[in-house]
Amino acid sequence: MEAGREAEAIITVHDLTREFDGRRAVDGLDLSITPGELFGLIGPDGAGKTTTLRLLAGLLKVSHGEAQVAGFDLLSQPEEIKPRIGYMAQEFSLYAELTVTENLLFFSDIYGVDPEKVNERAERLLAFAGLQEFKSRRAQHLSGGMKKKLALACTLIHEPEILLLDEPTTGVDPVSRREFWEILTELNLSGTTILVSTPYMDEADRCERVGLIYDGRLIICDTPAAIRGKLPGEVLEIRPGDWRAARGVVTSLPGVHQVQTYGEALHLIVDSAERRAGEIKAALMEKGIEVPDLNPVPPRMEEAFISLIHRIESGVQV
Amino acid sequence: MSWRNIRAVMRKEIQHIVRDRATLILVLITPTVLLLIMAYALTVELEYIPVAVLDHDRSSISRKFVQQVTAGEDLDLYAQVDRFDQIEMMLVTGEIKAAVIIAPNFSQKLLALEGLPMQLIIDGTEPESGNFAVDHIAQRVEQFIREVMSKQLQTSGISEEALLPIDLRLRAWYNPGLRPRVDLIPGLISMVLGFPALSVALTLAHEREHGTLEQLMVSPIGRAELLLGKMIPYVIVGLANVIVMPVLAMLWFAIPFNGNFVLFFLLSALFLFAILSMGIIIGVFMRTQAAALALSFLLIFFPGFFLTGIFFPIVAMPEIMRMESLFLPGTHYAVITRGVFLTAIGMDVLWPYAVMLAGLGVVFTGVAALFFRKRLG
Repeated sequence: MEAGREAEAIITVHDLTREFDGRRAVDGLDLSITPGELFGLIGPDGAGKTTTLRLLAGLLKVSHGEAQVAGFDLLSQPEEIKPRIGYMAQEFSLYAELTVTENLLFFSDIYGVDPEKVNERAERLLAFAGLQEFKSRRAQHLSGGMKKKLALACTLIHEPEILLLDEPTTGVDPVSRREFWEILTELNLSGTTILVSTPYMDEADRCERVGLIYDGRLIICDTPAAIRGKLPGEVLEIRPGDWRAARGVVTSLPGVHQVQTYGEALHLIVDSAERRAGEIKAALMEKGIEVPDLNPVPPRMEEAFISLIHRIESGVQV
Repeated sequence: MSWRNIRAVMRKEIQHIVRDRATLILVLITPTVLLLIMAYALTVELEYIPVAVLDHDRSSISRKFVQQVTAGEDLDLYAQVDRFDQIEMMLVTGEIKAAVIIAPNFSQKLLALEGLPMQLIIDGTEPESGNFAVDHIAQRVEQFIREVMSKQLQTSGISEEALLPIDLRLRAWYNPGLRPRVDLIPGLISMVLGFPALSVALTLAHEREHGTLEQLMVSPIGRAELLLGKMIPYVIVGLANVIVMPVLAMLWFAIPFNGNFVLFFLLSALFLFAILSMGIIIGVFMRTQAAALALSFLLIFFPGFFLTGIFFPIVAMPEIMRMESLFLPGTHYAVITRGVFLTAIGMDVLWPYAVMLAGLGVVFTGVAALFFRKRLG
């Protein structure tokens, strides 16, 4: 981390480690997040995303390492941090028997929100989350997407400086997912620092910076563009006549690192597009497979991550 | 400690109780239902038992004897039989609970004042009705002997009083009829009123299971605020039952309520505080509702049944059990309910029990707050 970032950071984490029965769920995490940043924490299931967020929210005891959140020490001042953060658990559950408004008011009470500001703020959040029509509906009768939005509204009622969101869009339909991210972007624009974990790569692309957690360790931490650039080689997209047969042919060709299937298109990660394009086309023609076009395309986030994970698993340092 | 936080949790909890029908039934109706079931199941107020008579004497005196024994409504002459094996059959089938066998020389011996050759057989498999038979038949026999004797004595010119110089009259205080229910129901009330403790134990585990507790843990709410906010609504609901129970006891079971109701109400609030904080402790330590439920029965209800002196006198218990019973709020509250219902005692007698209840409540709540961490795992 560069020194400037360290100095003004709103979250700094150094060597953060949490062990469960000797197994390190989070292993020596170093991280620094600047105020107003939208930071995505990406990684496969069980990589340590949830544990990291729970540690930062003060829900789990730190095994060793240190962290500062919103200017307070995580280990010695967790109760000072709590009013300044909004934490939304992956399984965030509202009080089912309470209405939308009652849930909001409950959280405004326990966060000590100024009673004079509560109503105005609740109205604004409900409008923001598109829940105005459902104000007096009980939480148990909301759809999955609406529950998530209400949960976010409850997390925002005390206007936290930092939002910690643990897979907020998992299990939510694509439309609600998009709406949810629009809300997050707006919040971020108004200055809230957001640390969000997600298993979706398209969501990673919406973040300013992304950290990849794998097996409890932060493997890489950079802008989405920079991470895409880490892909060794280039991506070639082909749309062969018979993609099943073509897949078998190209996988074993020299210079082809990986083959990924997208519908009827194949993405080949090759060491050099220029050098291999002709060879691939020739190999396919030889087997009688039609190849209408063969284009170099920018790598997707997903490809970059999968390739990174493959390299880690095969023991290559990144 | 912020009143606003406590009130927020209280309001939410009350909304939960009122709107979740299962919880509402559990806290409001269950104590009444339990009291009714246990009162009927555990106290058998026998009104009569069927009796058979085998009269070998068949004299006018033995007939008069049979008539007198079965004159009341308590001993119902089920059958006059001729052979002993008939009695045996009736006892086995449960048609009769007792049998009176009159010897052939019954009237002869009686008139000679040489004794009363008769036999009483009772069904020992049902001690309740057996005792009833012994008590009631013995009374009648005594009465019969007296009458016969006094006639005999009068003819020989001796007054009855000269023979019976001691006139023993028994009077049972506080429960003149010695009705078992009069004693037991106030005890049962002390037990069923503790029932909301179960709901409190469940409510924390419920929030843990549903993930709402995680959300409370990341909030700035204090531990004691959260626990008190959860407990107070159940104290309030419990107090509603405190009003219902004496009314039910008086109107339905005809149990007297001799003491001061305000005192009973206030001491009941103390008891609820103590027993609900036991529930809170269970909720703090148990991760799931199933575990909280099991432990509530193990720690609150079974000991409440056996160790609080409602059914079995504490003085008859081994030392270690007597010690344990001291830590159960029910032990002290059972003394209070019985005292207030039956003997109308006041604070001058009950203060040590009130102090114990308050002490247990404070200690239990303290332990709960001490071990409740705003952390997962």
